Amino acid sequence: MKKIPVWIDCDTGVDDAAALLCAHKLPQAELVGISAVAGNVELEKTYANCHRLTALMGADYPIYKGADKPWFRPLTIATYIHGEDGLGGAELPLPPLQNRPEPAWDALYAAARKYEGELELVAVGPLTNIANAVVKYPDLPQYLKRIVIMGGAAIGGNCTPCAEFNIYVDPHAAQCVFKSGIPVVMCGLDVTMKAYFTDGEIDAAAAAGGDVRRFFRESTRRAMQFCTGLGLPGVSFHDVCALFYVFFPDMFSGDEGGVYVETQSSLTLGKTVTDIYSDHQFEHHNAYVVLDLDRERFVKTITELLAEY
Amino acid sequence: MEQKKIPVILDGDPGHDDAIAWVLAKASPMLDILAVTSVCGNQTIQKTTYNAQRICALIGLETQVAMGRALPLVGDPIIAPTVHGESGLDGPALPEPAFPPHSKSAIEVMAEILERHPEPVTLVPTGPLTNVAALLLAHPELKSKIARISLMGGGVQFGNWTPAAEFNILVDPEAADVVFSSGIPIIMAGLDVTEKALIFPEDFQRIRAVGNKVSQVVADWLEFFYGFHRKMGYPGAPVHDAVAVAALVRPEILTMQEMYVAVETQGEYCRGATIGDFRGIAGKAPNAKVILDIDRQAFADLLVEAAAYYQEKEA
Repeated sequence: MKKIPVWIDCDTGVDDAAALLCAHKLPQAELVGISAVAGNVELEKTYANCHRLTALMGADYPIYKGADKPWFRPLTIATYIHGEDGLGGAELPLPPLQNRPEPAWDALYAAARKYEGELELVAVGPLTNIANAVVKYPDLPQYLKRIVIMGGAAIGGNCTPCAEFNIYVDPHAAQCVFKSGIPVVMCGLDVTMKAYFTDGEIDAAAAAGGDVRRFFRESTRRAMQFCTGLGLPGVSFHDVCALFYVFFPDMFSGDEGGVYVETQSSLTLGKTVTDIYSDHQFEHHNAYVVLDLDRERFVKTITELLAEY
Repeated sequence: MEQKKIPVILDGDPGHDDAIAWVLAKASPMLDILAVTSVCGNQTIQKTTYNAQRICALIGLETQVAMGRALPLVGDPIIAPTVHGESGLDGPALPEPAFPPHSKSAIEVMAEILERHPEPVTLVPTGPLTNVAALLLAHPELKSKIARISLMGGGVQFGNWTPAAEFNILVDPEAADVVFSSGIPIIMAGLDVTEKALIFPEDFQRIRAVGNKVSQVVADWLEFFYGFHRKMGYPGAPVHDAVAVAALVRPEILTMQEMYVAVETQGEYCRGATIGDFRGIAGKAPNAKVILDIDRQAFADLLVEAAAYYQEKEA
């Protein structure tokens, strides 16, 4: 089987953690590198959490440290859903840190060059690291196959009424990425709110026990409480959507369109403005907006990958 | 016993869908139309005022017609000749105005009506919200005399004139901000519902088949209006403005959600966007009933029924 090289940039994070656990067990995936960015919690924690996860899965993927704050705005974090530690309080042991000297954007660029345009970038945190790579390396677009992000929403928001968290945290970096010329697949709230596990489905996926499945259960308890408290049917695994889009595109549906990020007003800061529903079209269609998924298959696939541990 | 009528002022920028909204309003036994006011939007204020007069002549609406402001509150006018033609109401020939417009401005006329009417009046703006905002700014004391505002404008999910903004709100976002911040109960017929309020070509035929002068003209308007939308890939004509009237005369065919709606007046992409907090994230009290869905067949039937009203008048 020809493997697909993939890089994961994340702010681990409960659902980032699930994406990493899935990526490790995807037989089609060659996980080339992991980079951490500040987002759900501070960089030191997201970086450490990447190590906790690779240790948990028994792997030694290279992990790079990225930006510790957004381009221009103070960092917004989401401990109300991810917990103070970013992993819902699911105390995982911390292995020694890799301490690689090059920053995330340099390592990403080197990997992109190495794979000569085949590298899939899955970016599931604020887009600060990616924007740094875009501005530092003008030829990055020719070496990256595309960027599949978890972020934004054609309709609505979760951080403000019209902005999704990852984009809201660093709207300027996001706008830089959408304007970069690299094709972007946007897995926003339109699809990710449908990509949920009910409490019973998490129990079922974790039933066989073991460290990984126990972590999957424990790390999601807080988020489950928060989400069901809002009247939602379960916890969304937003970030897994972006990973799965690379390997199971037929699990999803969506529409091509233009997407740009509002950075010039406080009310709509971080809104991903898309023309997919509008009479008026942007000049360029720079993105594919993912809108729906086969939830049953999504749940089944994650459950099966976790069963591999 | 006769049903108590809802006193309304129709404020619009006709416009084919404004015209059909007014045909529907005049035909309803539930509404008492106190005045018609024009606003600049689909076309210049001269053209929309002239169109308002011609519509009144066509449907026998003998009420005062007053001209609104020639410009949005702050920004520059935007017109929509690609949708409504050079006259703002291209298509069938219409009777010339039966009477001149009121000598006073739309704002003065609205204020006078609100002052003297024994009960609060419902405003039905189907164009940019310039006149309504000007009224609220110049006469804050009359706020309590406005029962509710049933408007066509905005969209909590998407725009049409820009990706984020609907035409009426985009033309005068500052005015829309005044209205949505006013505390007056708002029913919002935005693109969320109005792009589902489609009248299909077979409905045009049903309306034409009613066989009176008004029904012929309405069918011709629909055909003209559908011209633009057919090119955009719509299977019918979205009769946006008539939904704001349907919300008063046939609310049972609509699905609404109460939510907080804010108007964006700034931004690189979002000026004129109506931001609807449908997930309840902002922690603000709802200020609008946002219409999200419509029984399309019932809406089409309502327009056919309205056309038939004019038949009875002629008989």
